[in-house]
Amino acid sequence: MSEQSKDVCDPNFAAEACNSEVHSSPGVPGGPSLPASQAAIFPGPESPPVGPPDAPLASPAPQAPSEEGDPKALQQAAEEGRAHQAPSAAQPGPAPPAPAQLVQKAHELMWYVLVKDQKRMIIWFPDMVKDVIGSYKKWCRSILRRTSLILARVFGLHLRLTSLHTMEFSLVKALEPEELDRVALSNRMPMTGLLLMILSLIYVKGRGARESAVWNVLRILGLRPWKKHSTFGDVRKLITEEFVQQNYLKYQRVPHVEPPEYEFFWGSRASREITKMQIMEFLARVFKKDPQAWPSRYREALEEARALREANPTAHCPRNSVSED
Amino acid sequence: MQGSTRRMGIMTDVHRRFLQLLMTHGVLEEWDVQRLQKHCYKVHDRNATVEKLEDFINNINSVLESLYIEIKKGVTEDDGRPIYALVNLATTSISKMASDFAENELDLFRKALELIIDSETGFASSTNILNLVDQLKGKKMRKKEAEHVLQKFVQNKWLIEKEGEFTLHGRAILEMEQYIRETYPDAVKVCTICHSLLIQGQSCETCGIRMHLPCVAKYFQSNSEPRCPHCNDYWPHEIPEVFDPEKEREAGISKSNKRSLRSRQH
Repeated sequence: MSEQSKDVCDPNFAAEACNSEVHSSPGVPGGPSLPASQAAIFPGPESPPVGPPDAPLASPAPQAPSEEGDPKALQQAAEEGRAHQAPSAAQPGPAPPAPAQLVQKAHELMWYVLVKDQKRMIIWFPDMVKDVIGSYKKWCRSILRRTSLILARVFGLHLRLTSLHTMEFSLVKALEPEELDRVALSNRMPMTGLLLMILSLIYVKGRGARESAVWNVLRILGLRPWKKHSTFGDVRKLITEEFVQQNYLKYQRVPHVEPPEYEFFWGSRASREITKMQIMEFLARVFKKDPQAWPSRYREALEEARALREANPTAHCPRNSVSED
Repeated sequence: MQGSTRRMGIMTDVHRRFLQLLMTHGVLEEWDVQRLQKHCYKVHDRNATVEKLEDFINNINSVLESLYIEIKKGVTEDDGRPIYALVNLATTSISKMASDFAENELDLFRKALELIIDSETGFASSTNILNLVDQLKGKKMRKKEAEHVLQKFVQNKWLIEKEGEFTLHGRAILEMEQYIRETYPDAVKVCTICHSLLIQGQSCETCGIRMHLPCVAKYFQSNSEPRCPHCNDYWPHEIPEVFDPEKEREAGISKSNKRSLRSRQH
């Protein structure tokens, strides 16, 4: 799973927002006790970020210097997104809106983020500003912070800035990493099964899987690129477009090959949400073999599981999702 | 959770996972919701007694109230299955769908919605919807594309398709009832029994009052001479059966055996 090491994995954005807020920003109302309790609950930027799927990716040391830049960068991005010429965030402007209005915006943003995630669409910061925050962009940090809080407390989800470079957020489960909620609420399973099949193939190969190899495997399931399937529909579109859009897969041209061929890799989202051990369990189930029939992969999966456990010593205790950060 | 225990006192990881999964699935039938609830208990609080679903949901809703969202329960119009969805009470427009669809797609939905509401049967034919493609706002859409978009609506459970005709999915009714009643106050039809929005149903041929099929089933249950509650004329339609979750479960078990075979192959 080497594809996503480039992704910047910041500590919870709310933590940064909290720190810069406590220091600067006039005109930030917020609830009476909120900033104080924030400072108590969120540790400073020095402590390494803790979050189950992100632990292998986090790099605590270089984080500190960039944190000052982040809120400003995002603020600037927000303003650029609105095509305004307004300078920095700290400029005194119109009177701050009533707390109730900010709270309402936070609720709207919460719903917006939930729906985007439900649809497995990218949560893009400029979109958030354009579609929800609108004229309250000066207070977007406060709004974002409140939204993150609500999402953590009510849904057990972290609104995480997963890529500063592309300004993408995603909702990450703050609850104990669980086997894919295999409640088998049937209409999800086939999709997940199909995806897992491809991810497993890539994993077992240890590198990208050529499209032809993927179709060889799918052919066993009766899936062909040109045939419409009763459940999946256009399978080729599903795996080369939809799964790619959702960041579960990467679909790239193989360099220096003529005629052009393409190959699949794990997408950043797959790396975040799916563990190697889950893949091993899936393989074991499908092929009715012991996971150790793939010894080197199984070893890798064990390593990853151990690393995750070490990053999360409290994994088996009922968790206070807020204090996690 | 120290900050606001007074408000969120009963929100545990059981509830959080439940909400996460309910949100992920969009809309669920009662049977699936019960399974979901049990799953959440199993994951986070194995030894606790599983609370009665209605109380469980009411408890969560009391927390969600301040966020203007709610777990809403509805009933499918065609066969009376109870369904649940997490809905946003604050927005009264179909902007809920706005993040999923482009402007012209949303407008296509609006056009289909209007046709459905105006129709006598609650169904709008594919042809009639597609004929409105030229009137859509936003980017020009071809009929072929519109067909694809309509299928997207079906997959996302906003519309149901039956033999080339479209009607509203229970989920759409659940989420948009308020919007629909406000936007089409004259065209909207209402069930005489439950007073909720009615898209599909039966109507009295004499006085014109309408009832949902599940409402008909309940109202005329074990009544050998069904009569219109309004004008007392003979009720001319076939009385459907009341939805029985037990019978459903038995049918569902044999279905899910086939399903789990399929998913194993995947």
